[in-house]
Amino acid sequence: MMNLTSPPGTVEMDDHALIACAQQGDRQAFTELVTRHQDSIVSLTYRMCGDFRLAEDAAQEAFVRVWQNLHSYKPQYAFRSWLYRIATNAALDSLRRDRPTTDLDSLSLADPGKTPEQVAEENLRIGHVRRAIAQLSEPLRMVLILREYQELSYQEIADVLYIPVGTVMSRLNSARTLLRQELLVLLEEA
Amino acid sequence: MNIHVSELLAAYHDGELPSNRQHQVEGHLQDCSTCRAELELYVELSSLLKADVVPYQTPPQRFAAQVQLRLPRTLPSRISQKEGKPPRWALGIPLVLILVWAFLQAAIKVTSLILTADQFFGVAIFNSWISTEGFLETSANLFLFNTLVLVGTTIFWSAWMALWLAWQKNQNVLSIKGGVT
Repeated sequence: MMNLTSPPGTVEMDDHALIACAQQGDRQAFTELVTRHQDSIVSLTYRMCGDFRLAEDAAQEAFVRVWQNLHSYKPQYAFRSWLYRIATNAALDSLRRDRPTTDLDSLSLADPGKTPEQVAEENLRIGHVRRAIAQLSEPLRMVLILREYQELSYQEIADVLYIPVGTVMSRLNSARTLLRQELLVLLEEA
Repeated sequence: MNIHVSELLAAYHDGELPSNRQHQVEGHLQDCSTCRAELELYVELSSLLKADVVPYQTPPQRFAAQVQLRLPRTLPSRISQKEGKPPRWALGIPLVLILVWAFLQAAIKVTSLILTADQFFGVAIFNSWISTEGFLETSANLFLFNTLVLVGTTIFWSAWMALWLAWQKNQNVLSIKGGVT
């Protein structure tokens, strides 16, 4: 069994080593991969679904699909792009199958360091932002989420969504323009 | 005053510009308050979006355990379903051979009927454009070719089935190995 802990900066290399083990059926190596990428994948699916229950379900489904398709993964491809593509599809499938049941604004944002007024104000602001994002069309929303929240490069986004880099840039510009119009009041306050 | 660099600001903000363009934008921003204000909007929008954090995460061990529960017991085969399917040409060739064989069968039957009619009624139906000997010779050639096509098709199908069965057996072995961890 390989050493599953890795020094900073060698994550991608170790991912490939873990994948190689997982491809041989090593479930512990696969569990390490899941643990390592859980945060980013749940974050991605949460941004796409807007519902934590759906997001976790989609993230788990994404990892199951990764396991089922490990044999088709080739090390010359970036694992993160491959994983994000699978997670994006899982989130979209989840959304199509099961619409969010939780109101976007109802998620708890309580912070013990803030007064109730501050929390209420923040809830209002974040609710406004979520509504604005939810109003974007699916292609624009996906590019925006991958860039702003997941901080993927244009090329990585293009790889995840199978679109040209030029399309990534134009969609991102459109999404930001629409958001700026929608969130003008909040931006002026800032 | 340089011309504005509005169309480059988004890529600049995202750190996606090549270094020469980046220097160009940085130089311009030092002198242009309009472009600085526009860049500030990108920064503020990003800050506003990122203020919305994911509220809760399932503990990693629990999440990983939930994923494990959903995994199939066996590791899927290295041969994907698509790869496991026979290639189209492999199905096409026997199909073409069968069609050729069927066509030849029909041609031989028709030829035989015409020859029989010719001999029985004593009427040279098609003698004006082909002789009886010619028909017989053609008929014999067609019969030979027909037989060859039939034998070829049979050999091809047998080889293909043997290959297919060996492939399936190998796939099952890989699946079983994948499940033992």
